[in-house]
Parts: sequence; C-alpha cells; structure tokens
Amino acid sequence: MTEQTAPASWPVADFDPVRRLAVLAATVPGAALHQAVVDAPFDRVWAVAADLEGALPHWLPDIRTVRPSADGTEALVVGHSRLRARFDIELRPGWCLMQSRFVLGGMAAHPEDDGTTRFAFLGAFRFPAIGLLATVLRPATAPLGERSLRRFEALVREAHG
Amino acid sequence: MTTVTESVRNVPASGPLLWVNRKETAVEPTPTQAVEPARIVALVRAAQRGDRLAVSGLLELVTPYVRRLCGPIALDDGPDATQEALIAVFRRLRQLEEPAALFGWVRAIAVREAVRHAQRAGRYAPAELTEVPAPGDPQLAADIRDVLDRLTPEHRAVLVLRDLEGMDERQTAELLGVATGTVKSRLSRARLSFRRAWQQ
Repeated sequence: MTEQTAPASWPVADFDPVRRLAVLAATVPGAALHQAVVDAPFDRVWAVAADLEGALPHWLPDIRTVRPSADGTEALVVGHSRLRARFDIELRPGWCLMQSRFVLGGMAAHPEDDGTTRFAFLGAFRFPAIGLLATVLRPATAPLGERSLRRFEALVREAHG
Repeated sequence: MTTVTESVRNVPASGPLLWVNRKETAVEPTPTQAVEPARIVALVRAAQRGDRLAVSGLLELVTPYVRRLCGPIALDDGPDATQEALIAVFRRLRQLEEPAALFGWVRAIAVREAVRHAQRAGRYAPAELTEVPAPGDPQLAADIRDVLDRLTPEHRAVLVLRDLEGMDERQTAELLGVATGTVKSRLSRARLSFRRAWQQ
C-alpha cells in the first residue's frame, strides 16, 4: 500500500489587531498611533478598553460621556469641548473602531508571549485637509497620547486591585 | 441624501460577515469563494470615498489573502511584509479603477512588497536551490518550508504564484516585472536540481 503524502502546509504570515490598526494609521493623513506594552494579561486590558461608557472618559482627555446604543453598534459621544457626535462602532475582542462624521478613533490589543499585552490607540480626523493640520500639530499632541496611555495603564491596574 | 455611513450599511448583508463580530480564529475563506462580488465592489467604492469602517472591512477581507502570499515569500519577515503590503494596498486604493479586480490587484502589490521586503531584510540563507521545484514533486509536498528556506525571495515568489495562485509563466513574469524567459529559467530543470539537492 502506498503511503499518502500529507498535504503541503504553506506558511501563513502572523498578523494581529495592533498591526491592523497600524495599517489604518499609516493610511489616514494626520493619524496618530500611540502604543505601549501593558503589564497585564489581555483579558484584563481589553476589559478596560472595551468599557466605552465606563472607562473611555477616564483616560481619553476630551471625552466626557459615551452613551452606547443597545446593540453596541453606535454611541453618542460628548466631549469637554465642542465634541458631540454619533459614532458608528465596530467592537470585538482586541479591536475597536469608532467613526463619526469627522473623527476616527481606534483601539487594538494583542497578547504577548510573556503575559503582557500590546495595546494601541489611534486618533484621526477623517478628511485630508484636517489631517494635514493634525500632522502639523502632532508634536503638540503627542504628549497627550502618552499621557492617555499612562492613564489607561493606571485604570488597568486599578481594575485589578 | 445618502451619507457615507449609510452607503456602507446598504452593502448587501448576505454572505460571510466581513467585519461584524468576526473572530480572529475563524476559518479564513479564500477570497474568490467567500464574498459576493457586489459586496466587494460596494466596500471598495465606500472605502475609496473615505469611509474608514469600509476600509476596516476591506482590510479584514484582504488580510488573510495577503498573509498567505507574504508568508511563503518573506518567511520570518512575513508579519512585517504583510503590514507593509497592506499599507501599500490602502494607500493606493483610489488607483483601483475596477473594484471587481480587487484580489488580482492586491496580489500584485503583495507579492512585490513581500519580495522587496525579504530582499531588504536580507535574512535568507544563500540559495541552495537555483530553480523552483516542479509541480507535484513529492519533496515539495512533504516539506514546503524547507524548500522555501533554500530559495531566494524571487524564486519563492515564482513558486507561490505557480503553485498557490495557479498562474502561468507569462502571468508570473508580468506580475514580477521580469521577462518570461527569466521565469522559465527559474522553473527549468527544476526536478533534477531539486532532487540533487535533496539527495546530498
């Protein structure tokens, strides 16, 4: 009896949600991507990230309230400044994208081998002209991104404590 | 008046879900069998108009395909190559005039980016195989990764386009921007050379 050769297994490149968010960031003019390795497992990190109503206003500076719809596909977001907009939301484990008429926001997380979690968030305006302005302003806004990341990490620690 | 968001929501909902609650671990459909052409066209058009949720849906749709192309060509650099290829695809999306030709267009960009990235990374060992193994070679079926490790990125691309994508020499030459003779030379005397390498 002839032994059957096993089907060939072609290597498939790994790809994770943080890389996917980086692709979006690279294709949106003026988008700012901030990322960090959070010293906590994925489930704890994403529990905070996915809590749009309870957690987002505590770590993103301009957001005052987030009111998700019952099915979770939309949310009314009100900011401390003039932001008041309805966002379409795409949310699943490790991935969240929020889009209003003018603003795009996103979060992604991926578990690392050592038990930590890579977390990234993205902020952008949706139109090129505004995006170019955002590019000019990026040196001023970058520290805000880092500060937001630190607040996010603190929330993850508090949630565990 | 139809808003951009509404236009995405009006994309036909039948067929596999493209982005809603689709898990990373789900079985990835091959691009040609899983998604209705009308849905692809609607997504591309919405993404070209700047709808980022459509971009996200399109990204989810083409990513498995790009991973399958970049993995065998860029090997350990596959994740970086995939990321760069996807960035190239979405930066040039407005240049895609015929949305129905999406996957052929993505394939051309992804293969070229994977070859370019693998060459730039320069992490591959000097080629032990100077030609691509012939179709149906039992060693190829037994251990593709070993074969790939001993080919240059350009040869891997030829192998991928022929064995995974079913392209002929002329199509492969066009996509890689080389003469048909170059592809032929990479494929010629393949079985003999490949077997010799394996028997050493």
